Amino acid sequence: MSEYKPKIVALVCNWCTYTAADLAGTSRLSYPAEIRMIRLMCTGMIDQKYILKAFLDGADGVFIGGCHPGDCHYIDGNIKAEKRIGGTRNLLSQFGFEPDRLALQWIGASEGPEFQHNMTAFVERITALGPSQVADRMIL
Amino acid sequence: MLQELLGKKLADAVLVLASNPWSDVPMPTLFTDPDRMEGVDPLAPVAPVSSARQASALTRSPSGKTVVLVLRPCEIRALIELVKLNQCSLENAIIISMDCLGRMENKIFSDEAKTGPGITERFLSSPELQGKITTTCSTCNDFLPENADITLCTLGAEPGHMGFEALTDKGKALLESLGFKKGDDLPKRKQDIAALADKRSLSKKELFDATALQMSTIDGFQTFIGRCLNCYNCRTACPVCYCKECVFLTDVFAHPPELLLERATRRGAVKMPTDTSMFHLTRLSHIGHACVGCGQCSSVCPSDIQVADMFRTVSEKTQAFFNYTPGRDVTEPIPQLVVRNGKRGD
Repeated sequence: MSEYKPKIVALVCNWCTYTAADLAGTSRLSYPAEIRMIRLMCTGMIDQKYILKAFLDGADGVFIGGCHPGDCHYIDGNIKAEKRIGGTRNLLSQFGFEPDRLALQWIGASEGPEFQHNMTAFVERITALGPSQVADRMIL
Repeated sequence: MLQELLGKKLADAVLVLASNPWSDVPMPTLFTDPDRMEGVDPLAPVAPVSSARQASALTRSPSGKTVVLVLRPCEIRALIELVKLNQCSLENAIIISMDCLGRMENKIFSDEAKTGPGITERFLSSPELQGKITTTCSTCNDFLPENADITLCTLGAEPGHMGFEALTDKGKALLESLGFKKGDDLPKRKQDIAALADKRSLSKKELFDATALQMSTIDGFQTFIGRCLNCYNCRTACPVCYCKECVFLTDVFAHPPELLLERATRRGAVKMPTDTSMFHLTRLSHIGHACVGCGQCSSVCPSDIQVADMFRTVSEKTQAFFNYTPGRDVTEPIPQLVVRNGKRGD
């Protein structure tokens, strides 16, 4: 049996976390290949349904990376994201989803090493949790 | 009284439940001519539609007219949420509400109404009829109106009688212009309110505990919505689900055949219509904070899914998480939009 490799969707902000990923790349800092990164203009554009869709379509974890509070390119998109994601974690936990599969981190554009560290840690966390039940059992 | 409001030109129009010859349940009706006000039945124990939507349609842009809106407490709460969502304004509205003893499903109301005249009067004095209200209503402890100008008080009043209570200066001025003088407080009112509140809170807790337990697993949740046919009636009937173009009605969810086949292939099987879990979870996450517990979603479900039980149970926790009470205060910002110092962002 092959080693379990989780499927992870990362929704990242163009101005910070995505740039940090670029920096990590140009600095030759590697991060796990389980991450499927989707670039957005701002975490403030993340609708709860993007997260739900990822989980229902088989993601084992969803990582959201945005700008540090006060650094948002669009003033406070990241704070709006924080509220929505807080609500989504609260919602999911009521239905027997593990809220730890959904993470929000602030990673600034200059933080290449932090990006690498966060991605590695998140993959480790999801690997420890194992495959998501949702992908298998949520058939409706 | 409503007739006089129009007759004395204190208001230009009145929106209130009224029976008509063509429907077996009273429908929200907009009156402008006091002489045409027939069949007005503001306390009828039925609500075929949440009047909040109709009230919002009347106030969505300034008409320069004063409109009296006769609404149930939950409909006022929904209207307040719609104001916060910039769907309407209460500037030229006078809100009249009532001690809400609940509503029956249309069919039950219609059957009871056929057994004799004066269903509303009979309902107000008969505990047996009051036991036939919807599950949502019988587990609702927000039965006293907030944010109304005037309350029609039946709790604590003698059978066949009713008191008026002005909750705002606007309401007080109106009652005075109508020639009402301040009378004695209804002696039994406090006692009656407390008794009803206790009863309702108890049954609410029982219902919420049972529903939360049932939905606490993925299988339990799926069992709850298993019969859903994706008709989206609950979305249409919901007074706070206000988007003109719902994403579930757009091409985003009109999947091409290849995608459906691919989904089925991935798991070996997929239930159709698809995206049922997605629909309910999305609605819960979009408007859970604003659920006012009117129960219309359960009433309109053709598959008899108790959507409102799920919504109210989940939303109560969402609202606690955001420390938010929908419909409490028109100046209280929507929680997801509070970004700085407790203020709403741009």
